[in-house]
Amino acid sequence: MIKDELLRSMNEAIVAGDKGAAVALAADAVRSGANLLEVIEKGYVPGLQKVGELWEQGDYFLPELISSAEAMKAAMAVLEPELDRNKIVARKGGKVVIGTVEGDIHDIGKNLVASMLQAGGFEVFDLGADVKLERFVEKAEIVGAEIICLSALLTTTMTNQRRLIGLLRDKGLRDKYKVLVGGAPASRKWADEIGADGYAENAVAAVKLARTMIGQG
Amino acid sequence: MTLPLLALVKTRTVLLDGAMGTELMARGLPWGTAPEAWNVERPDVVKEIHGEYFAAGADVVSTNSFGGSALKLAGHGLGDRTYELNLAAARLAREIAPAGRYVAGSMGPTGKFLKPQGEFTEEDFAAAYAEQARGLADGGADVLLIETQYDLREALTAVRGARSVSSLPVFVTMTFNSFPRGFFTLMGDTVVRSAAELEKEGVGAVGANCTLNSEQMVGCVRALREATALPIIAQANAGQPAIGPDGRVGYSQGLEDYVRFVLEIVRSGAGVVGGCCGTNPAFIRAMARKLREESS
Repeated sequence: MIKDELLRSMNEAIVAGDKGAAVALAADAVRSGANLLEVIEKGYVPGLQKVGELWEQGDYFLPELISSAEAMKAAMAVLEPELDRNKIVARKGGKVVIGTVEGDIHDIGKNLVASMLQAGGFEVFDLGADVKLERFVEKAEIVGAEIICLSALLTTTMTNQRRLIGLLRDKGLRDKYKVLVGGAPASRKWADEIGADGYAENAVAAVKLARTMIGQG
Repeated sequence: MTLPLLALVKTRTVLLDGAMGTELMARGLPWGTAPEAWNVERPDVVKEIHGEYFAAGADVVSTNSFGGSALKLAGHGLGDRTYELNLAAARLAREIAPAGRYVAGSMGPTGKFLKPQGEFTEEDFAAAYAEQARGLADGGADVLLIETQYDLREALTAVRGARSVSSLPVFVTMTFNSFPRGFFTLMGDTVVRSAAELEKEGVGAVGANCTLNSEQMVGCVRALREATALPIIAQANAGQPAIGPDGRVGYSQGLEDYVRFVLEIVRSGAGVVGGCCGTNPAFIRAMARKLREESS
């Protein structure tokens, strides 16, 4: 049993975006032989959830979100090798291939979603911006992804989100992947119209959506 | 002798133009191509769009250089052509501008982040903006319009970059989101802080553009008015992107609804108004009519 105080410190380190503290606490937990699953689920994850709430209500902005995601990733980088060593299977988020569609070089939103997904436990394969549609499919096939996330900032390039779904269909792979779309011009209606599996308005919502997609909602 | 733009703002409401990128797309710019490339490849098209905005009643057109900072152009492999493409952008607008009208050199965000969120230093950003400003100034811009900024630090860096190579007046618009607690940029900068810092940096006018529709812009202009004595610029989006019955992407706020709020934006304190995403020359013509009715 881990002291509540320690779990609270982990929580606070994530909320404060304090990477140093998050890492030190994780290392302490490893040294003391604590139950690492409990550390993750009761110490760190609630902190990240709190950060998401603060962001959604407009108390936190991009810098805070990024700091917290970085602190979370750094803590997980300490804990995960230990879990592996002890053959403990943590709740994995699944594999996600993400990128900004071809013709569009905007990547701020996409980077944020990738970072939050990673902090949220997903294994993220970020293809960058201006990504040829075929590459999304190739990568998803190679890594065995469950989810493909497509970002577009321009009303003129968002149509490539539709084209990717067509491409999957042509290859007979449509049902193999959950396709999620995002970006300023995208909307739930757009996602429905093009036959995507989901749309998220922001990075925090994207993590929740991705969890639902793989049955962890 | 034409009044300097800042002097004109003191005498009456000044009208800016509307969207450029979508107008270029409508004329065949393929997606993936940097719009700035057309300043050299298809100058006739860029001039035609400026000409339509002037004909619609715009006092000022903004050059086809929104993505023309050296860092943004580098994303298209055009970083080493920054000066040339911006020079051409300003020259085209200058050539088509009737006497007594103005050219604002558009400078949009780099799309990158400063440290610690990103990998760039303020010096990197200042240099990227300076190279752009040099081209725009040499091409004949009357003012430099640093626009759609989501990070106050970047905006301030852009102002310093512009200042390092040019003595032209610098205007800055930030892009704010509306939250229950007020208006904030992506990075969490408030209206009050943005206006104060930019004023301290010596800009000629401050304002808001993009993101907000014209109804939301009214509130944002009120907040700006409380925060600064500088002239205020307001360029709202025509709502949100939406899919039309023909399956094409348009914007949710129709022309009538958009211009309904123009006079309220002016009465709330904006001295320079224009359009942003989803607007076109027809919107500017309708705005010009509203402004004329108001002043007569």
